Amino acid sequence: MHGFLRRLVGSQETGLVLVVVLVTLVLTLLAGTHADRRTGEIVNNFWNSFTLIQTATDASFFAIMAIGATVVIISGGIDLSVGSIYALAGVTMALVLRGAGPMSDGTTVLLGLATCVGVGLLCGLLNGALVVGLRVHPFIITLGTMWMLRGIAFVATKAESILVPPSLTAVAKASLGLGGGLYPVPMLCMLVLAILGTIYLTRTVMGRHIFAFGGNLEASRFAGLSLARIQLGVFAVSGLMAGIAAFLGASFYGSTSSGDAQGYELYVIASAVVGGASLIGGKGSALGAMLGALLIVLIRQSIRTLHFDANYEWIVIGCAIIIAVVVDQWSTRVTAKRLSRAADAPRAAA
Amino acid sequence: MSIRIARGLIALAALGAGVAACSRGSDTRPDTQAGAPSAAAKDDKITIAVIAKSSTNPVFLAARTGAEAAAKDLSAKHNITVEVLWLTPPQEDGQVQAQRIQQAVNDGADAILISCSDAGKVNGAINDAVDRGVAVMTFDSDAPQSKRFAYYGVDDLKTGQSTMAELAKLMNGKGKVAILAGNQNAPNLQRRVQGAKDEAAKYPGIQVVGAFNHIETPQDAAAEVVRVNNAYPDVRGWAMIGGWALFTQTLLTDLDPARIKVVAVDALPAELAYIEKGITPVLLAQPVYQWGYVGVQTIVDKLHFKKDVPQIIPMELVRVSKENLGEWARQLKAWGFNDVAASYLKM
Repeated sequence: MHGFLRRLVGSQETGLVLVVVLVTLVLTLLAGTHADRRTGEIVNNFWNSFTLIQTATDASFFAIMAIGATVVIISGGIDLSVGSIYALAGVTMALVLRGAGPMSDGTTVLLGLATCVGVGLLCGLLNGALVVGLRVHPFIITLGTMWMLRGIAFVATKAESILVPPSLTAVAKASLGLGGGLYPVPMLCMLVLAILGTIYLTRTVMGRHIFAFGGNLEASRFAGLSLARIQLGVFAVSGLMAGIAAFLGASFYGSTSSGDAQGYELYVIASAVVGGASLIGGKGSALGAMLGALLIVLIRQSIRTLHFDANYEWIVIGCAIIIAVVVDQWSTRVTAKRLSRAADAPRAAA
Repeated sequence: MSIRIARGLIALAALGAGVAACSRGSDTRPDTQAGAPSAAAKDDKITIAVIAKSSTNPVFLAARTGAEAAAKDLSAKHNITVEVLWLTPPQEDGQVQAQRIQQAVNDGADAILISCSDAGKVNGAINDAVDRGVAVMTFDSDAPQSKRFAYYGVDDLKTGQSTMAELAKLMNGKGKVAILAGNQNAPNLQRRVQGAKDEAAKYPGIQVVGAFNHIETPQDAAAEVVRVNNAYPDVRGWAMIGGWALFTQTLLTDLDPARIKVVAVDALPAELAYIEKGITPVLLAQPVYQWGYVGVQTIVDKLHFKKDVPQIIPMELVRVSKENLGEWARQLKAWGFNDVAASYLKM
């Protein structure tokens, strides 16, 4: 029990949770209040159910993609194409549903989900196959597919913004008994996927292999791991997550276009990095990715809630990312020194 | 453990420092304080969230100036407090706009004035806002299928037609022309392109070589013009359904007025040199300042004075040429544009 608590308190995620809680507290204290339009009740501008769920919803699309991106980053790779996969999966779903014509609500939702997930998975497998087959760095491959996949989405839609059937929106915006105006589905999906991602990375053989692959490529090779299969797998997971995020995003906002999620890959990678993923591989977690996305959205939200000049958003986010990475590297170095001292202590005593 | 806590505190301190560094000067802050009820609930105070497409586009900065001027004028004139909150995203993104709408509602705004980057993306958020008692009006780019109460802007199809009609007149109804089309996903621009093509079809001598999309920054737009001119050396005219490319100075030297004629929508200070040089004999100006001014005025009419306002409030284009260049320059100056060249003001 003591060991579990020690691990919990010392974990990377605990530090992030602490920061998220502190930012939330600061925002709540400084946000001010307003009278609710319908009830007349005085509510805090930040600490109210609408803003909290909206913040989590805004983070959920990044967070889900960031969980997939984290898996790639742990393996020592990078996936720049997640935003384009998101756009392609969304528009393909809309085109398939439009082509299929009227169906029952359940069939529409299932077909939509299957299309998004299928397209995401295929795009991920394509990335993986190109990285493995051509032996080119993932940065180059996914930079290329980022443009290709968005181009396909653009050509397929002829730049049209396509509405999705209302049954999809009804699912993504289901209030689940919370009342009108509160839509917790994307947030719940984010939580479920973060848990599944954590189980995948820490409790499955494939997850262990990914850490081994990213942590020490040569050792993994000598250990007889199937490196090609691991690389194919991580990109498949990343594509799959982008497909799921696309389904939720297109359904939630009610339309999709080839311009969707433009530039989101940078937010996604930033979320993973702020969440503790190391760009040199071997380190990261699904929960950290989710918390990283939440923190970035909270920073954006704080600028809005406190009514600072929104033009400073990018500067603040950029600074936060650099500081998070620098602090992370510093703590790694300090920990390594401490471990080294601890290892030397018995020898010195002898 | 101590390292983790230190990490958390440092990140928080960084956040605090970053936020503290932010200027408050250019944004209006509601006078709500922790623990005090918002004045937004009072009848004599109206908080309007303005969400344009992108805060890097000068036409929307003019709209912001107009909205803030209207808020000031109406507050003084009617002894009420009209407050404008600028919630425009840094770059075009319908999804972010939908999020900003939700945020404005959550923050207790009374009304929202929005130019939609992607109507499909914001329809749901607009409807939710209206359902929660917040009035929504659109300008520039409409969301006609939503529950917004009014739209103020030009007729985009007609704007495209007028642009091509002016160009055809300058080219005596013959020659190859190109259309500079902006963001391919913006429905209002798509309609303008359609209008330009429809109009070109009326002139048997006019041949449209293509409509060219680009990222809506001045540099990207100007680069696209140069690329197309190189690829189609026989192009003799440009119908620019937005003024992006003319916000640069580069085309003043890259385009030969004796060979190529340009007609463009918008007439902001940076574009006026093109009229003077004869490259762009005609600019079709949207009085973009009025987007903000008329928008805020209409919202106040509806919310405070309970007036019935029309669903569609048409904005008329202003034809700017050498004949009225001075007058237009003075108008821009009066609307708060400080970069109007002094030489035009004296005309």
